[in-house]
Amino acid sequence: MTIKIAVIQFPGANCDLDTIHVLNNVVGVEASLIWHNHFKQSQFDGCVLPGGFSFGDYLRSGIIAAHSPSINEARIMLKDGRPIIGICNGFQILTEAQFLPGALLRNESLKFVCKWVNIKVENNTTAFTNKMNLGDNLAIPVAHGEGRYFTDKLKELEENNQIVFRYANESGEITDGANPNGSMENIAGVCNLEQNCIGLMPHPERASEEILSPKKTTHGRLFFDSMVEFIKRRTS
Amino acid sequence: MPKVKKDGDELEVDLTETEINQIQNLLERGPTFTEWGMFDVMHSEHCSYKSSRPKLKLFENAEENYDYVLAGPGQDAGVIDIGDGYCLAFRIESHNHPSAIEPYHGAATGIGGIIRDILCMGVRPIALLDPLRFGTLKDNPHSQWLFKYVVKGIADYGNCTGIPTIGGEVEFDKSFESNCLVNVACIGLGTIEDFEHAPSKATTPGDYVILMGGSTGRDGIHGVTFASRTLTEMSEADRPAVQIGDPFTKKMIIEATLEAVKTGYVRGLKDLGGGGLSCALSELTGDGGTGAKIDMSKIFTREPGMNSFEVMLSESQERMAFIVKPEGLETVLEVFQKFEMAHAVVGRTDDSKVLKVYDGNDLVVNLPATALSDAPPIEREARRPAYLDKLLNQKTPVPTMELEEIIYALIASENICSKEWIYRQYDHEVGVRSVVKCGDGDSGVLRIIGTNKFIAASVGTNSKHCYLDPYEGAKGGLVEICGNVLASGAKPMAMVNCCNFGNPEKPESFWFFSRAVEGMADFCKELRIPIVGGNVSFYNEDEVTNTSIKATPVIMIVGVIEGKENIVTLPFKKAGNAILMVGETKAELGGSEYHSVIYDLEGGMPPKIDEQKVKATWDFLLESYENNLIHANHDVNKGGFILTIAEMCFKNGLGADLNLKECTIDELRDDELLFSESVGRFIIETSPNDLDMILKIANKHDIRVKKIGDITNNAQIILNGLKGNSVKLNLNKLKNLYDSTIPNLMEI
Repeated sequence: MTIKIAVIQFPGANCDLDTIHVLNNVVGVEASLIWHNHFKQSQFDGCVLPGGFSFGDYLRSGIIAAHSPSINEARIMLKDGRPIIGICNGFQILTEAQFLPGALLRNESLKFVCKWVNIKVENNTTAFTNKMNLGDNLAIPVAHGEGRYFTDKLKELEENNQIVFRYANESGEITDGANPNGSMENIAGVCNLEQNCIGLMPHPERASEEILSPKKTTHGRLFFDSMVEFIKRRTS
Repeated sequence: MPKVKKDGDELEVDLTETEINQIQNLLERGPTFTEWGMFDVMHSEHCSYKSSRPKLKLFENAEENYDYVLAGPGQDAGVIDIGDGYCLAFRIESHNHPSAIEPYHGAATGIGGIIRDILCMGVRPIALLDPLRFGTLKDNPHSQWLFKYVVKGIADYGNCTGIPTIGGEVEFDKSFESNCLVNVACIGLGTIEDFEHAPSKATTPGDYVILMGGSTGRDGIHGVTFASRTLTEMSEADRPAVQIGDPFTKKMIIEATLEAVKTGYVRGLKDLGGGGLSCALSELTGDGGTGAKIDMSKIFTREPGMNSFEVMLSESQERMAFIVKPEGLETVLEVFQKFEMAHAVVGRTDDSKVLKVYDGNDLVVNLPATALSDAPPIEREARRPAYLDKLLNQKTPVPTMELEEIIYALIASENICSKEWIYRQYDHEVGVRSVVKCGDGDSGVLRIIGTNKFIAASVGTNSKHCYLDPYEGAKGGLVEICGNVLASGAKPMAMVNCCNFGNPEKPESFWFFSRAVEGMADFCKELRIPIVGGNVSFYNEDEVTNTSIKATPVIMIVGVIEGKENIVTLPFKKAGNAILMVGETKAELGGSEYHSVIYDLEGGMPPKIDEQKVKATWDFLLESYENNLIHANHDVNKGGFILTIAEMCFKNGLGADLNLKECTIDELRDDELLFSESVGRFIIETSPNDLDMILKIANKHDIRVKKIGDITNNAQIILNGLKGNSVKLNLNKLKNLYDSTIPNLMEI
């Protein structure tokens, strides 16, 4: 079967072409760049909200895109159980649209931060982590100014197993030093209750090819391979 | 400043009496106010290069002499053919004056401007690099303020547009305290077809003139005139001449422009930068041999009631002018509509060779299209400053500190320490092309997706060397920046420069410019490097403290690496491998960090360049690469080679055991050997098995290559074979000092 994935292009998205490249040329699905006003969910098996600065991050990052008609389309996908991932700005949009709990605040340092970090897998049953092992420590870069995760429902998230990734050091320990932005409990990514939608600040599309990784890893691919696996299981 | 009169009103213009007479003779009438304003802007130093043009003729014609150069100086960007149907466009520009007054928006709009220059070559901007100069940071809140907000301005603008900032360079020196330098460079990648689609001229009568992007407002009026003067106490009042950037609109302009160019209906393309509409419209028609009729009422303005003077001179950001074939008008407008970009058809081209602008029924501009770009060149006097002799004769004092203390002091100095504080704020990975990350190589390396080709690029120069000898200093800058590209595995292919100097009306300031240009011209001819573009920023001088900046002819080099396996990085790879020094170390400490950090001296003899040796060194490196003999390479730079070795040790936690007995030819003192800044040297790593072969290649090219030690697993650098006692350096301590200097100065 051909797996069809939409990469939604909001005005100001800037990781859209990067994501398309990885999905088409590395993972090998059929990914299309869809202008946000033209998105029709029925044609796709899953969708990606890529990184960038949708609508210039004006007002508050993600908030304007969260009111785009494409989000109503995406909501249908969400309810239907199809996979949705928000990366960086996409994560911000998904929290603003309340697909996912919590909010992303300005980094504790008050500065943009671009660096390779490690994240530890805390839930490997979601649509985007089923090819990972619990406790895997993934090498992946972050690049954001507003990535400090905050929630007032921490206990609930923990009980429901909605915390998918935490920032860790090289040895996989969850430490303050490993936290690039001051996120609550080192949270790097979360999922919805149904686990078909996840959001994270790090960029899997920048970590999917050996040539781009300082450690020659391809951990970013696991996200997209998991998505493919999830879609296959769903439709078989 | 002379005043011109019209209908009882007076206008101050930055024009000379000769220019005023020439303009009146040409038109055979008194120009309108708007026309005076346009002449004023277009004849400013910034737009007309009237002082620099006679000297820049020394650069050989790149388009004529190099078959891979597709566009050379005089265009919005240089363009080179890199094979497989691809071309690279690149350019560097200054945004010094605005940044000195308003660092955040000054730097941000600098980025905005350089992106537009690349975009108007029809290719996608894929990388930014920023050479910067500030006063020293320590105990200097003003320099800290400029530094912090320039970096933030670059980060916020560059990150939002999705163009990675892959490299840069910074120096801190008190001569830049009032006049910081913000140079911005951009690289664009596209197919040769993309480039040929979009020349920056209107060649055909009957085409539509379309303005797209941001609205025209009252900001930035006379920005270029302001940039063509020295800074004074009154400069604060010029803050309104600094434009405000909008990176979100810029991102949309990039996408809309590239999509419009792809339609094939765009015949000409020009960005609105310095000089605004005046510059864009006169250059499009003047260069294309056409004229145009423009209806000012169609131009969308930010506020009502703007007069023609303001509209024609506004330097509002984020605007592009398109020349569109009549049959493609609808298609192109649909593209702009999709991206929800404001746009307007403002006129049509004709064969009149005259630029006419109507404000309602009033003809407010009626000028021969080429008139504005014909500013008469000015021959400036150049005189070598007398104080140089005294400076050059300064001797290196005999050190009273222990060598290790000197090394610890140097590595913690502002000019040598880690610049991670800066590049962590830049998104240097967006675009999924960055294969060598900031800090891992001497230059940024990008892949070209779908090929096995890589681009290496680096920027910089050494202002302290140029201050003592601008001729050798400019050449030294070239050796260093070409060296950076070579150290990454690429052969230098082309150069652009950004000349930052003082007031050209002062013979002593102009002499620095003259000599630097001569140095660059001579070197590039000899080493066969085409100069495909440049920018000149004069008047980096401050009348309050009466200081001029140190001469700063910034160089940018791009090169191409064929094959992933040929990319070389800086960190040492493996204990047991040999450390080799390439090149000769001489007692060249003039303008060195050693002089300035330890003795607060600015003088001494700076390094001299021998082009034949440089050429031989390049050939040696390229041949060694071909045989896969070099596992790490880092050029020797500020502070001398021990600091180079320390940087190579850090990343993989390795150490070095050195024996320096054979290191030099001359009888050098230990401090001269260790801290010399002789240019054209490299530290390379090779496996012990390949040592003979690499020395043989060195012999063949007649250059000096010596094994100076071995890589170890111990966290220290040991120096034996000195005239004095051995030196033992603790790498953890070195690394701490290296990493903490800027954060300690900048973080409260």
